[in-house]
Amino acid sequence: MLGFLKGRPEHPRLSQIRQLHLFATLGPRELRVVDGLLHERRYLEDEVIFDEGEEGQALYVVLSGRVLICRPGAPDGGRIAEIPAGALFGELALLEGTPRTAQARAAEDCAVAALTRADFSGLVETHGAIASKIALQLARDLGRKLVARHLTLEMRPQ
Amino acid sequence: MKDSAFASGPLVGLVTIVVTSLLLVASAKALWLVVPLLFGIILYYMLYPIVHRLVLSGVSRDAAAAIVAGSVTILAVAVMVPLLPWLAAQSVGSEETFYRYLEGGRVLIDRTLAGLEKQFAFLAKMDFHAEMSKRAAEFGDTALQKKIAETLLAAAVSLPTMLLAPFFAFFFLRDGQVFKQLVTRGVPNAFFERTIYMFDRVDATTRAYFQGQLKLTAIDTLFLGVGLWLIGLPGAFGIGLVAALFEWIPVVGTIAGAGLAVLIAATAFPNDPWVVYATVGLFALVRTLDNFFFIPLTVGRSIQMHPLPTVLMVFIGGAVAGIPGLILALPLMGVVSAIVGTVSGIVLDPRLRARNRWAKELLQRRVTADFR
Repeated sequence: MLGFLKGRPEHPRLSQIRQLHLFATLGPRELRVVDGLLHERRYLEDEVIFDEGEEGQALYVVLSGRVLICRPGAPDGGRIAEIPAGALFGELALLEGTPRTAQARAAEDCAVAALTRADFSGLVETHGAIASKIALQLARDLGRKLVARHLTLEMRPQ
Repeated sequence: MKDSAFASGPLVGLVTIVVTSLLLVASAKALWLVVPLLFGIILYYMLYPIVHRLVLSGVSRDAAAAIVAGSVTILAVAVMVPLLPWLAAQSVGSEETFYRYLEGGRVLIDRTLAGLEKQFAFLAKMDFHAEMSKRAAEFGDTALQKKIAETLLAAAVSLPTMLLAPFFAFFFLRDGQVFKQLVTRGVPNAFFERTIYMFDRVDATTRAYFQGQLKLTAIDTLFLGVGLWLIGLPGAFGIGLVAALFEWIPVVGTIAGAGLAVLIAATAFPNDPWVVYATVGLFALVRTLDNFFFIPLTVGRSIQMHPLPTVLMVFIGGAVAGIPGLILALPLMGVVSAIVGTVSGIVLDPRLRARNRWAKELLQRRVTADFR
């Protein structure tokens, strides 16, 4: 009768998110907390995940498959980047509620885990250490993207 | 996401009022469940900061919810066991106290009417004093006495169902996030982020309302308690607390709380009308402070609706579901308003609908690929 007082069994996704760069510095207990906040979504190839101009509510981590970041209508199909499994996209939504700068679309059938801005804000309040570790990984990821972008621009013929 | 991104206007307002009214009518049919649920929600917002602290100190959410809700249940049982027979006895044997306060109120009305008759000749011609005194005596002897006895008996009978409140609170504390994930799992991909936003708005609205009301109750208890103590009323802080709890009932709550304090003041000081005037003045002062300082600081603008539908909804709530309806009307309207606003925003957004159709088409193509 008092079975509801027992803890819940470990989610099978836990071993998967352990491998993700964003959560690489989290301990097992911390991972369990984060896992409880993630929303798993599945998209078919060509399905739109979010549109340019929409106000973002969540950051996405690709669990499987690939995601295309593009600007429809721009030259060359507007292709900006392709996000492989394990990488993240839409991270600016976590930091502020600015409009999305591009469209995200499933390049192939994919599964993504979404961490919403509200849940991340809650994490900052309740689990400051976890939020700091995620924020640090996020900053590293943004830094890497910035350097890569800078190098691409430098190598472009004048 | 700015609210302007969502549909709003008279139609959304009308749908909000209709849906809230229907929910209030439905809640009136199951008050035995709605009242503990309401207390469960209030308890959830009261206990949330404690669970929050436990989680912060390293306890898992499940364990923190169990510890806090379990402690409250044990405390509630410990309080209820002696309270239940006491309340049942009070409903039958409290005639003496009841009549004493009623008599105090009657004497106050009597003197006020006599004073008015002296001032205004036309009232004396109408025999206003005698007629009103007769009506007040009839009301006090029959209707009010019966109503209070019924209310006390009903409270004694419904007390055991109140044990459901900590049970509800426990599940809200433990499974709030799981519930959100379960609901969003059923939402099509195209509407996912909007649904997440809706949940945040609903949570923010109810949290701001209930936590704000709890803070307001504490502030009002303090101010009324100190004020009544300075005036010299017996049991000043008890009266202050009861009057502050009455404030949960919009519009009529202040009058009911002030009325109670005036009755006690008139009974305790039958020959000193200034105590009654000071009590009325204190309630007017605290209400003014509430309106200008305390409500903006606590409840704020958690229910962002026009005053006209707000007052209308309070009266509909009272008419269909009594006191629980009066208390529920505003937070329920806030939640319904957030849901209706977001859902209409989704329904009226052609791009989101097109994305949903596109996703369905992709699925259709996938499952019928071998037909071609």
